[in-house]
Amino acid sequence: MRPRLPGIIVILALLVPGFAKAHPHVWVVVRSEIAFTPDGKVRGVRHAWTFDEMYSAFALQGLGKDGKPPTREELAPIAKVNAESLAEFDYFTFAKHDNAKAAFGPPEDVYLEADDKKIVTMHFLLPLETPVSARKPFSFQVYDPTYFVAFDFEKQDPIALAAAPSGCSTSLVQPKPLLSAETQKLSEAFFSNMSPGADFGIKLATRVVVACP
Amino acid sequence: MLRFARNDALLFLVTAAALLILQDAALAQAARHPFAVGPAESGGAATGFAGLILAWQSKFQLQLQSAVRALKTDGGAFFPLAAASFAYGVFHAAGPGHGKAVLASYMIANETALKRGLLLAALAALLQGSVAIAIVGVAAVAFSATARQMTDAAGYVEAASYLVIAALGARLVYVKGRALLDALREPALALAPARAFACDWTDDPTHVHGPDCGHAHMVDPATLGAGFRWGDALATVLAAGLRPCSGALLVLAFALSQGVFLAGAGAIVLMSAGTAITTGALAATAVFAKDAAARLTQKSARRATTIFRGAELAAALLVLALGVAMLVGWLARSS
Ligand SMILES: [Zn+2]
Ligand SMILES: [Zn+2]
Repeated sequence: MRPRLPGIIVILALLVPGFAKAHPHVWVVVRSEIAFTPDGKVRGVRHAWTFDEMYSAFALQGLGKDGKPPTREELAPIAKVNAESLAEFDYFTFAKHDNAKAAFGPPEDVYLEADDKKIVTMHFLLPLETPVSARKPFSFQVYDPTYFVAFDFEKQDPIALAAAPSGCSTSLVQPKPLLSAETQKLSEAFFSNMSPGADFGIKLATRVVVACP
Repeated sequence: MLRFARNDALLFLVTAAALLILQDAALAQAARHPFAVGPAESGGAATGFAGLILAWQSKFQLQLQSAVRALKTDGGAFFPLAAASFAYGVFHAAGPGHGKAVLASYMIANETALKRGLLLAALAALLQGSVAIAIVGVAAVAFSATARQMTDAAGYVEAASYLVIAALGARLVYVKGRALLDALREPALALAPARAFACDWTDDPTHVHGPDCGHAHMVDPATLGAGFRWGDALATVLAAGLRPCSGALLVLAFALSQGVFLAGAGAIVLMSAGTAITTGALAATAVFAKDAAARLTQKSARRATTIFRGAELAAALLVLALGVAMLVGWLARSS
């Protein structure tokens, strides 16, 4: 008994920090539209983020009259605050152009919407600081590095192109799943993420790639 | 060999507390999360077993969601909600912001009684659930408060809890610092009264223990962390449990929107029970670790006492650091 205890304790000590971290509370389904400038450059990303039922209920608490969902106008103050605090988190949108980081400016056309089922969607356009040529690959990921929010792309048609030059296309590069569906066993990706310091958020996030001829 | 084991255990005490503190201190980020629900409760970059927890956490929260929805149509469907809440409590409390760091550090600094540790963990979890019920119940039901106002209310409670943590840490540092100084200053014999030794070496009743009597002595674990005070224990419950839990706030707001607030409140009590299991396990680990370290210490009672007072002081300093870091983070976020 005695000699074994320290071993057990060491194992516990190793478990505690890993066990404790990831922690989503809010789920968001993402639809994005790639916006282009009139001369065919990538201007930015227009997001529509739909929140889960629980967070929607929390966000709408005390708003709306006679059991009806609140209007866009009623939700405007929240949208404003959200947009402002998003800046500190890089809008949870991490873009690359020609393999270099591409930065976004402050969001435009920000508004919140609640549908009949009282599900909240946040809309905003995230313009690149400077529009970039679409001939070199432009790509982005949407994730929360603090993992408070779990972002997932919509299953059907998550990405659209708005006024894109002809021949442009988009593709989604999926991360390796943590639990492969058929076997219900932990996948390789899970074990490769066991190493300390691995950035889970990035590895779990789908990458959207835009390519034009 | 024994020395190695003792060092292992002591190292664990301080490392575990430090890791927990770091984990909780990660909450003290400067920026306010755009979609924060009540107090900050983000987890930092996720590694290790996080993937598994992540999958479970998602599963339980989605189950909670559908259980609340089911309750709306079928008033008798409380059991699925109760089960999901309880399970959510167990796994969810593994994340930061559920008072584990404060509890564990307090247990290391101060406490050697297992039952009392479990009681403190349970009370803290219950308090945490009650605060969430109070915030959503009073603010939302009585004044139709908005998410913003609920988050602000939770924020003030959060600040109060950091103040309590810092104050508790300061008191523990003072008490434990003095104890360490005493241990360093006093002669070995005065420091180690006979009842602090347990000797399984000899059955001779006339044997008088002393530092030079030539065989192993153990520190009686019961004398470590002496000077238990209910005031400190109560402050620990407040410090660990005052900050409401984002998960609970979400469930309650959703239950309210579905018109089943009371059932939601009942579910939160069960969630607290689940939380108490996780935090209680941690409190128990701290007690066992300290106990094991005490038992493994056989070389020199005097040295052991000094080391223990040192470990206790380290734990106390961690509580103080946690309180101050979280308070500074809160001020930065809300300015
Ligand atoms: Zn929580
Ligand atoms: Zn949480």
